[in-house]
Parts: sequence; structure tokens; C-alpha cells
Amino acid sequence: MLQKIGGNFGGGVQSYFLFLRFLVILNLFSFLLIAGFVIIPSIVFRSVEGSAVNNTGTGFIEYTYLFYGYYNNTQIEGMNFSYNIPLAYLSTAGFYLLFCLFCIIARMGTTARVVAATGGSSEGNYSSLVFTGWDYGSNGDQATKLKQQNIYYRLQVDLEEERIKKRSASLTQWQKVFLYSARILLFFLTLAFIGLAITGIFFATNFSQQNSEQQGILGLFYEYLPSIVITVANFIVPMLNDQIAPFERYSPGVTVVFALVRAVLLRLISLAILLFTLWRQITCEKTPADCELCGYNIKVYQCWETRVGQEMYKLTLFDLIINIAVLILVEFPRRIVVDNWPNKLTRWVGRQEFMVPYNVLGLVYGQTVVWTGAFFCPLLPLINTLKFFILFYTKRITLFHNCRPALKTFRSTTSSFFFSGILLLGLFLASLVMIYSVALIHPSMACGPFRLSTTMWVVVPTTISKLSQTTQDFLFFLGSQSFSIPLFVLSCLVLCYIVAFACLQEKCYFVKSPTQTGRPG
Amino acid sequence: MGTTASQLGKELLSEYQELTFLTKQEILLAHKRFTELLTKDEKDIPNVRIPMERILTLPELKSNPFRKRICLVFSTSEQKDGSLTFEDFLDLLSAFSDSATLEIKSHYAFRIFDFDDDGTLDFNDLQTLVNCLTGETDETRLTPEEMSQLINNILEESDIDKDGTVNLSEFQHVISRSPDFVSSFKIVL
Repeated sequence: MLQKIGGNFGGGVQSYFLFLRFLVILNLFSFLLIAGFVIIPSIVFRSVEGSAVNNTGTGFIEYTYLFYGYYNNTQIEGMNFSYNIPLAYLSTAGFYLLFCLFCIIARMGTTARVVAATGGSSEGNYSSLVFTGWDYGSNGDQATKLKQQNIYYRLQVDLEEERIKKRSASLTQWQKVFLYSARILLFFLTLAFIGLAITGIFFATNFSQQNSEQQGILGLFYEYLPSIVITVANFIVPMLNDQIAPFERYSPGVTVVFALVRAVLLRLISLAILLFTLWRQITCEKTPADCELCGYNIKVYQCWETRVGQEMYKLTLFDLIINIAVLILVEFPRRIVVDNWPNKLTRWVGRQEFMVPYNVLGLVYGQTVVWTGAFFCPLLPLINTLKFFILFYTKRITLFHNCRPALKTFRSTTSSFFFSGILLLGLFLASLVMIYSVALIHPSMACGPFRLSTTMWVVVPTTISKLSQTTQDFLFFLGSQSFSIPLFVLSCLVLCYIVAFACLQEKCYFVKSPTQTGRPG
Repeated sequence: MGTTASQLGKELLSEYQELTFLTKQEILLAHKRFTELLTKDEKDIPNVRIPMERILTLPELKSNPFRKRICLVFSTSEQKDGSLTFEDFLDLLSAFSDSATLEIKSHYAFRIFDFDDDGTLDFNDLQTLVNCLTGETDETRLTPEEMSQLINNILEESDIDKDGTVNLSEFQHVISRSPDFVSSFKIVL
């Protein structure tokens, strides 16, 4: 099925669906990990809140397994078996992030090997494309025509880039000065757009937090206001940047990379701003008096972890709703209009083209939100699995019904690598958030598994101190310098050996000389 | 020896298996598809030769831009008219099969791209090659300036001895750097 997508729409679109499938599987396994170590033990030991302690008016969902606040700080010690729920919660979260890191690096490894074998994108490009570009297995006139168009556009794009490079190298002094000053000006303009979007998100979040007591439709609107502003900003700002891009006169390859980098920065910064404003309110930067009693803002947030989890949950849900809404309200009507009323305007607008980079960024953003929120909302990976699953099939439907094949195809191998790289960046951001909340912010006293500790991290030292003396000595030895430095040196040696071995294997692959067979008859 | 009627003898089958890269099922399937192309009278002739036009009706070759060159390269007829016997047909499928080696495939690819059959790929060969790849319609044809820019780039990258043409070993050198070639140079019935 994915081969059909690749044959009809090109390698870039196929790599998007492969990436989406990878994320679905990753989320599913993460959920199984969390369920096994945290949720099921919680259910089994029946250590959950009996009745609602405070009514903050957000409905019954707040008091289910969905959010952090529901879990208890039980430490079961019966018969021959002991299970420490707070420790399990913390270590599961840590292992979850490490597990995701491992999967992403493994995926980057497989795509990197292909990039290394083909020697990068610019060397021997033209001859490779012309001599090896044709796929003899594709049948049918439609597939042949599509392949021919793809090759034509690839050649054209490469030749044009070369011409632009030659032209820019031959500019006069004055023209260069003019071009560079135009580029600097437009760079600051794009920064200004991003800055505007960020201030908008900042104010929206503050406003939403202040008006969190509202009921009804207006209340719902206020609650989802940060999500709405983030989505709108992430839609408008890249569009504006796209309009500016032609004036910068970069070659097409560079333009695409710049557009992507700007879009990535915008997405991750808007998420970071949302978290930053929440953090400011939780640690009450504006009103220090509120925090003196408990170390966090107990007046506004009885259970701040649940609140953060709720924000992430809302972002995820809103993202899914917007995707489906755009599909139904924009893409289907566009196709109906273009197909049934052929005139000059509709032919110029044309059918939707499946924009791979922006779609992948949407996925990376959604996954980063889930990583940030998973600690506060343990069922979020499951929700995300369902969301990506639904997204896979809806995107596939819209691809086949509404989209035309992209004319300028993406270099799928290098872009897979690039997307895994951005995913790593998102993972890093999420880990920062988790480390900060675990190590520094005081856990809520009214809810959650860490309600009796000063920080969440404290659980680990207390548990270690309960172990036997020999185990403690062993663990301290592992952390000391006399062990870690030899370990570091040893792992560097092993890494060098593996890299050398891999290089040797690659070189051998093309040198093997096969036996020839004669012609019959 | 030759093929008779519609049954393939056991001895013949194992001989073909030894001499080509094809498996037993692939040879039997090839025989079935080949005999489907024969008219009633032709079915009794041993070593029958099917003209090129009929070979090109096969769906696997019909829309391939290199179909005529493929038939010409594998044909053993003295008139060089692209007609194929069953053994030529097996040769064709063997070179395009899954198990054929990189050397065999690159050898035949070179011969297919050598449109004037002079043993090297010169400017005109490359021009015809690029036109086949991009299609002959006006929308997808490169302008003459783009074409010469492209072919100069290709010659610069692959012509190591700088004689203005690409010979077999230079061609194989380019092929060896591409990991997709073996899997894309494949025709399966």
C-alpha cells in the first residue's frame, strides 16, 4: 500500500507516511511501557482517590487515570513483594524518554547509511540520475508519464540551481551589496513576524489562565485560546514567510531549507512560550506571597501537574480536530470546485498539492507535545497513538482523492534524516521540561504520587538509602570518577571499532566480483 | 535444440535453469507468456522468432521508453530487426531478474543506452537517452541550452579519460556508486 503511494506521488510523500507509521508504533510501545509499570499496578493495588477532593469545575475527566493527580503515593510492601509507585512513576517516565531516544537514533542510523552510500546529494548527481534513474518495473502509461515528469523536474531544478550559483558568483559589487542588505532586512522582517506570534501566544496564555473560571461556551473558548492562537500563528507566519522568500533570491534548495528551519523554530518556540508562561504562574513570579506557604502557587493551582497535563491534552486534541476540519472544510470542497467548474481561476489554483515538509512538522510538533505532557498525563501516549492512527488514514484518503502528485519531489533519504533530527530536538525540549519539573518545582500537596516530598527527585535518594549497605556502596562506586572515566574511554574505543568495521563492510559491498554466466543456445 | 509445441521438456528446463539467472517457475511462466504471443500456425515451428511489434504488446514492456532498444539488444536475428526467439526472451528476463549480478545489469544497460551501437556513449546517445527519460512531449523536453549544460555536466562527472564519450568501464563506475540500480533495473512477469 505504501509502495502504491510512492509510485503515484513520489518518494517524499512515501517517507511522510513511513514516518507517521514509525510514530504510531513508537507511541503504542511507549503506552505499553507506561501501562505495564504505572497504570496497571495502580489499578491492581486499588490505590486511587475515593472521591473528589476539590471541585475546580473542569469536569469528571480530571479525576480519572488520565491525569497525574489521580495516582496515589502508595508503597506496597506485602509478603515477598514490594512495589513503590512513586519510584515506578518517575523511572518509567525516564525510561520512556530514553526508549524514544534509542528508537529515533536507530532510525537515523538506517537512513544515514543510505546517505553515506550514495555519497551525499551533490556529487555525481547528474550522471547517477540519468544512468540509474529509470525504474524498469513500473507498468502502465500513467506511472511512466509521472516518472518522466519527476525526472524532468529534478533535472530542471538542479540545472537552475547551478545557473543561479554561477550568476550570483558573477554579480557586480553594487548588486551584491543591494542583495545582501535586502536579505538582512527580510531576515529581520521574518524575525519580527515570529516575535509577533510569540507575544500573541504569551498574552493569550495569560488571558486564558486569568479567566479560567468562566463557564459555558465562552469558558470553553477561553480554555482553548492558547491552542487556537498557536495553530493560527503556525498557519499564518509560514505563509507570510513564503511570500517574502522570492525576494531573497536564494537558490530553490536553500529556500526550502530556510522555510523549514523557520517553521520548526516557530513551532518549538511557541510551545516553549506556553510552558514558560505556565511555569511563571506556578512558581508565582508576579506574586511571591502566594508561594511562601507551599513552594508553589496553591491559590490558583491546587494540582498544578494536572493543569499542565490538561494543557498538553488540549493541544493534542485541538490539533487533531483542526486537521480533520481543514480536510473536510478546505480540501474536499477545493477538489469539488476545481473538478466541476473548470475555468481559468480554478486551473491556476489547481488541486491541492501534498506539502510534505509542513505535514511532517505538524507530526513532530504533536509528538513533542505528547512527550512534554506524558509525565503529567500518563494516558497521553495512548491518545496520541489513536490520533496518529486516525491521521494516517484520513491523510491517505485526502491524498488519493484530493491531491495531485507533487511536481518538484523531495530528496527522501536526506529529508528522513532531517525529520528525525527535528524529532530529536523536540525530545530534548521535552526532557528539559521534565527534568526541570522533577528537580526543582515543588509537587502539589493535594494530589499525585509525590505529594509528601519536597521535590519529585527526592524519592530516588530515599529509596536508595533504604537499600542494603553493599548495594549502596556499589551504586556510589558506579557514580564515582574511578569508574566513570575508564567506562568513558572504553565506550569511545568500542565506538571507533564499530565505525571502522562498518566502513570496511560498506567498501566491500561493491568490490565483490560475481561469476558470469554464458548465453544459451 | 529448440522449443516445441507448448510443453517444455525436463532436460531443456534444467539446462535453461543452469544457463540463466531464472528459477524454474520464472522459466515456465516465461514460456507460457511467450506461447500466448504465437499465432496458431507458428506454434509448431521450432525456434520460432516473434517480430518486435508483437513483443512490445506485453504490458511489462508496452510503456517502457527503452522498449525498442531492449528488443534490439537481446535479438540474435541477422536482420537486426528486434525479433526474439524464446531463448532471446529468456536472456532478456535473466538480465532483468532479481538474481542477476550488478556487472551483467550494467553491461546490458550500457548496450541499451548505446543508441548508435558504436560501443561508447557520445553526445548524441546521451541526448537521446535524456529525451527518453523526460518524455517526448513539449512540456517535458529540455531546451537545447539546458540539454547541453546537462550533458556537459554528465561528461564532466563520468568521463574520466576525457575523450568526450563514456565507455563501459566509466559507465560501470558511475553505476557502482548507486545502490538503487540493481533493484530498479528489474522486469518481472
